Amino acid sequence: MNYFPDEVVEHVFDFITSHKDRNSVSLVCKSWYKIERYSRQRVFIGNCYSITPQRLIARFPGLKSLTLKGKPHFADFNLVPHDWGGFVDPWIKALAKSRIGLEELRLKRMVVSDDSLELLSKSFPNFKSLVLVSCEGFTTDGVAAIAANCRFLRELDLQENEVEDHRGHWLSCFPESCTSLVSLNFACLKGEINLASLERLVARSPNLKSLRLNRVVPLDTLQKLLMRAPQLVDLGIGSYVDDPSSEVFSKLKAVIQLCNSIRSLSGFLEVAPCCMSAIYPICENLTFLNLSYAPGLQGNDLTKLVQHCRKLQRLWILDCIGDKGLGVVASTCKELQELRVFPSDPFDAGNAAVTEEGLVLISAGCPKLNSLLYFCHQMTNAALITVAKNCTNFIRFRLCILDPVKADPVTNQPLDEGFGAIVRSNKSLKRLSLSGLLTDQVFLYIGMYAKKLEMLSIAFAGDSNKGMLYVLNGCKKLRKLEIRDCPFGDVALLEDMGKYETMRSLWMSSCEVTLGACKTLAKKMPSLNVEIINESEQLEFSLDDRLLVDKMYLYRTLVGHRKDKPEYVLLL
Amino acid sequence: MELQLGLALPTPNMVKGFDLNNHGLDQLKEMGGLEAWNKAAGCFADKDCVKSKRSFEQAFGNFTEECRTKPLLLWSGQPNEEEDHKDQKKATFSTTDENDAEEDDQVVGWPPIKTWRKKIFQQQQQPRVGRAENNRVAENENGRSIYVKVKMEGVAITRKVDIKLYHSYQSLTNSLITMFAKDKKCDEDDYILTYQDKEGDWLIAGDIPWQ
Repeated sequence: MNYFPDEVVEHVFDFITSHKDRNSVSLVCKSWYKIERYSRQRVFIGNCYSITPQRLIARFPGLKSLTLKGKPHFADFNLVPHDWGGFVDPWIKALAKSRIGLEELRLKRMVVSDDSLELLSKSFPNFKSLVLVSCEGFTTDGVAAIAANCRFLRELDLQENEVEDHRGHWLSCFPESCTSLVSLNFACLKGEINLASLERLVARSPNLKSLRLNRVVPLDTLQKLLMRAPQLVDLGIGSYVDDPSSEVFSKLKAVIQLCNSIRSLSGFLEVAPCCMSAIYPICENLTFLNLSYAPGLQGNDLTKLVQHCRKLQRLWILDCIGDKGLGVVASTCKELQELRVFPSDPFDAGNAAVTEEGLVLISAGCPKLNSLLYFCHQMTNAALITVAKNCTNFIRFRLCILDPVKADPVTNQPLDEGFGAIVRSNKSLKRLSLSGLLTDQVFLYIGMYAKKLEMLSIAFAGDSNKGMLYVLNGCKKLRKLEIRDCPFGDVALLEDMGKYETMRSLWMSSCEVTLGACKTLAKKMPSLNVEIINESEQLEFSLDDRLLVDKMYLYRTLVGHRKDKPEYVLLL
Repeated sequence: MELQLGLALPTPNMVKGFDLNNHGLDQLKEMGGLEAWNKAAGCFADKDCVKSKRSFEQAFGNFTEECRTKPLLLWSGQPNEEEDHKDQKKATFSTTDENDAEEDDQVVGWPPIKTWRKKIFQQQQQPRVGRAENNRVAENENGRSIYVKVKMEGVAITRKVDIKLYHSYQSLTNSLITMFAKDKKCDEDDYILTYQDKEGDWLIAGDIPWQ
């Protein structure tokens, strides 16, 4: 390859698209590093504090698409206080000042302000795609700026964000000249929108493939929108309530029959079960069905619907489908790859909607299953062992038993053997979440067998430091480890400090790690930021090294301490 | 508002209590439910006073021993969290965030469901039509949470509990024991729930009807 001119090498690199591969390629030699960096268009930064925007811009002048992630994963569950960090503003400011022709920005768990959005919308003439997932800090005014100023906008995708709704004129801010929309998702917005504007927007967007509506969009508007956009591939329904005998409903039924491109269906943020039959005609083509936000659909309704979905590959559903309903899924959805079962009532133990039985049925019926998120009230070792026999292709296995330390109800044993079986038979496992009563033994198994594991989430498990050590020593590919409420302490934390440089981050909360140990770690490993989150009412940190730290988050970084930390974060 | 709840260990002499803080109080101020809660709990809080978070402790009664359960460990009288921490061999930084009124977990962050998803469920429990008039009723039924911090003797870490999720003292106690079972092996029978009133006295929970 050294005998080829740079342009040829660059052309070859065009075919190398995965981030990992491009990163590897850049390490081969100086020449390749240089060629790669000038030709790189897409960059993924898993922790926004691992690098600065300035260094990013300096290295990749041809950057077009940037993905950034901010807060640690446990922020999703309220374990990270507000204003901890993850601000996108410095990134947008730096990019705006530079000559980068940004076209795509994807953010996850970051704090975004209206000012940032406005600056973004005005700084990049070719900006095409904005995807915000689990972000916060902005209002519909910021969204309006994007709509108004991004002349070639193709994608505006807002997923599960906390957006202050100023009763959207934002939708009306798309100029009449904007006809480029391919994807519009505003399901997470709570406020009213101008329905007529929405209809006109959809009417002038011939390339629109994905449309996800919010709760205020009523059924009759849905019917009109589908008339305008029968080419949709991905539909998120807002409100789905009407009288089945109404004329509007008949029209809807008719127009749905025409929408034979729809492969993905979600939403139903408000739903009348009696209207569900209108959906059946498109069910047979569906590959993704998400009913996890739909209140009030009983097991029967869900089961009847699922029976029509033979081609389903991904199903997100509430646990009111029940074990029997999962049985129907197992016998109908032979192409199923991903299943997520969410609790409809997390605190009502009296209504045990799904148990280990449902999972076993699924594992037996769906040979292609590779990704699972399953909330249930109980699980047995026997069931997990059966699942492990049936399914050997898991990439993601996340089991959440709602009672945090529940043993196997049949044998009263911990669930070590069950999870052990899972990791032993699923050699490609990349992500694992544990729950139930667990001892150090399960971690021994994980360290022994989960050789490809990249992300592990642990809560209320283990007996001693050995547990954590098994994992740190055995899981060579581990990138993210998040632990809460486990008896792991200093010995485990400090045994192999170099390990953390091979990982993106480590979170430990309510464990037995002392301040002194954290200080030691920070001192020995300058390439790590060790953050202590202290929310107590004490104004000063006590300097006693023996104190247990409540929340510690450490991550590797090339740029040292961050400058934007709030008062309650101690950077060691 | 501070409601101090305690779960006791078998020894009658030791006194360490629980520290319950009501969170989300600001949200409760419009609710009729708050009044009922106040009265039921024996609090004589004025409606007008409930503008911001306050301490709200209830009268402390005597222990009686008709039950098999052993007496509770009482707090040594310090409602102050920091001081309590200093008493313990391994003090911890407190975890509770007084200002975060948006959680509705049994234990903070458990089960691991995205806050956003939980909010959707809460919103969906409210009827959309005539929402304005129905607000008072809807909010009562809606499960706006009342958070309370609970500590168990011998366990370093407090837990936060949303009392609104329970319908009886028994179910609350059961849940708390399950929650703490991880930290300290304990039998169900050995523990009683107590709470601390505004005079700093400890009462056995259960004397006053749950509502």
